[in-house]
Amino acid sequence: MARKTVLQILGVALGLGFLMACSLVSPETSFAPTHPQELGAGRPLCSECHSNDTAKGALKPYAAFDHTPAFVKNHKSQANQDANSCASCHAQSFCVDCHGGKVPMKPSIRFGDRPDRDMPHRGDYLTLHRMEGKMDPSSCYTCHGRANNDKCRACHR
Amino acid sequence: MTPRTHVALLATLMSATAWGQEVSLYGTTMAQMWKQEIPGFDKSTFTPATQYLGIDATKLGRDNLSLHLFGWGRTDLSDPSTFDGSKSGGYLNYGYLRYRFDQANAEIKAGRFTVQQSTGFEQVDGVSARTDLRGGFTVSAFAGKPVLYKTVDPAAQKDYDFQRDFIVGTRIGLRLPRFGEIGLSYLQDGTKAAKDLTIPSPVDYTRKQVGADILIAPAPSFNFRGRTVFDLASRPDGVSGASRIAEHDYTATVKLGGRFVLSGNVAERNFFAYFAGTNLPSLFRQDEKDKFQGYGTSLTWNASDSLQVVGDYRHMRRETFGDVNRIGGEIRWTSREKKYQAGFGARSVSATRTLLVDPAAPGRSLSHTEVRAWSMVSRGKFMASLDGILQRYEKDNPYLAGLQDVYEMVGSLGYQATTNVKVSGDLSYGSTPVSKNEIRGLLRAEYRFGFARKGGR
Repeated sequence: MARKTVLQILGVALGLGFLMACSLVSPETSFAPTHPQELGAGRPLCSECHSNDTAKGALKPYAAFDHTPAFVKNHKSQANQDANSCASCHAQSFCVDCHGGKVPMKPSIRFGDRPDRDMPHRGDYLTLHRMEGKMDPSSCYTCHGRANNDKCRACHR
Repeated sequence: MTPRTHVALLATLMSATAWGQEVSLYGTTMAQMWKQEIPGFDKSTFTPATQYLGIDATKLGRDNLSLHLFGWGRTDLSDPSTFDGSKSGGYLNYGYLRYRFDQANAEIKAGRFTVQQSTGFEQVDGVSARTDLRGGFTVSAFAGKPVLYKTVDPAAQKDYDFQRDFIVGTRIGLRLPRFGEIGLSYLQDGTKAAKDLTIPSPVDYTRKQVGADILIAPAPSFNFRGRTVFDLASRPDGVSGASRIAEHDYTATVKLGGRFVLSGNVAERNFFAYFAGTNLPSLFRQDEKDKFQGYGTSLTWNASDSLQVVGDYRHMRRETFGDVNRIGGEIRWTSREKKYQAGFGARSVSATRTLLVDPAAPGRSLSHTEVRAWSMVSRGKFMASLDGILQRYEKDNPYLAGLQDVYEMVGSLGYQATTNVKVSGDLSYGSTPVSKNEIRGLLRAEYRFGFARKGGR
């Protein structure tokens, strides 16, 4: 009996909590799931068209998403804060091109016909990684610290 | 997951696409060939065939429900091309159902997906949800099992046992128009301490991290963003002096007029805290209590709509190895119709103050120069590209087996048969310390069917 009462109290509390949480949800309409216009080839500068606008949902200037060379090299903060904004133009397969978890070949081999794209580990990275790894192993960790490390284990046991 | 579970999951997810009113299927079929001759080893010929396949099916019964799948399979037609000796393999990179609500940018995902939180960049088999709240707040959370990877020899690899069985994370953010965003996140990986594992470890590889991230973007011409991550996990007796700060990483970007973009970054990572949770502790060693610090800047000059010039500099310091300076630049040109593109870049790394890499020649082991040039052209249905990279190391570098120059050239020819079908072939030639002359061939067929996304990839 006591157990049933506890469960009933828990159920009511969860129900009330759920209703409270629903009342906190923003009433704003979700932004478009995909960019309404086809984008041209190359790295887009969002602020070229959205000059003084604030991105809906993200509530920050479109210029913060301009794909400058610095943005392309270091986009982890944007991916962390605004993954759903990224998704309006990029399918997840675009992220997987480099961040695949487990891949059968280097991205630069898979996309050997696209030298315009920034790809990690071009050329003989097997040699270079001995040096890059000594300089900054934390840069390896993001992709190889917990995953995609079958090949690492062949030598680093 | 076992291979049988993989197959069952894949079959279930793929059959669900039949309900989709808009289904896109895209794939790449690749055949490679190369020969290898390494002194002391048998001659080998490798001919792996690889298939990538992705499916996006939207409007699954309801407008807001969609399915997303991507994976690959490989088989070796001659000698095995992998370290573990297997002649075939495959992997589901992601496969999840997503429900996207019409309100509050809310969504729920279930299946295999990728999350990025604190220092974690994880593939998870589980559930995630996010929504915007009133007043500019956002909240997101995920939970599940971290995706495990087959290792070369799991039975003999003790590190494998440190991979945890459960991962959970959440983030609360506050977005302020004309200011930016601040966020607080938590990530926990593992439900029991390392000492309770089958193979006890003196080091606790459980991750418990709190991260604080910030973006300040008061105007389109300026933004400052970054994060600090703290390690909260309990530590074994005897560990002292290792910082609790896993990472500081901050970048400021200023747009000067319409042509220049100046960017600066400063970062610090303390390995004991940063590497907590690795499943490869033999490589990402926490017990070194080492620290990395770096700062750098880059200047981009958009000289015209067609020409972009970038210069960058970075200083890196690792406590146990010393200082490294890297300076470089890149020029990128694109014709107005984007039929021609070309780029040239160079980087020089100076490591004359680096310690302990090669005591006999401390400056030589790391210092090198890299030069890369590439071009692409498309005429009608035909396209071609050429890409060359050269790395020149210091003379008598002990890693290079007598070589000083390591290089690779890749040439590619392609034919766009239809809007959705393209075939291409690559030929590469290079020289490395392992293979002094290496020639590789690759054939590629890419195709896409169905309703393409309007926004591109």
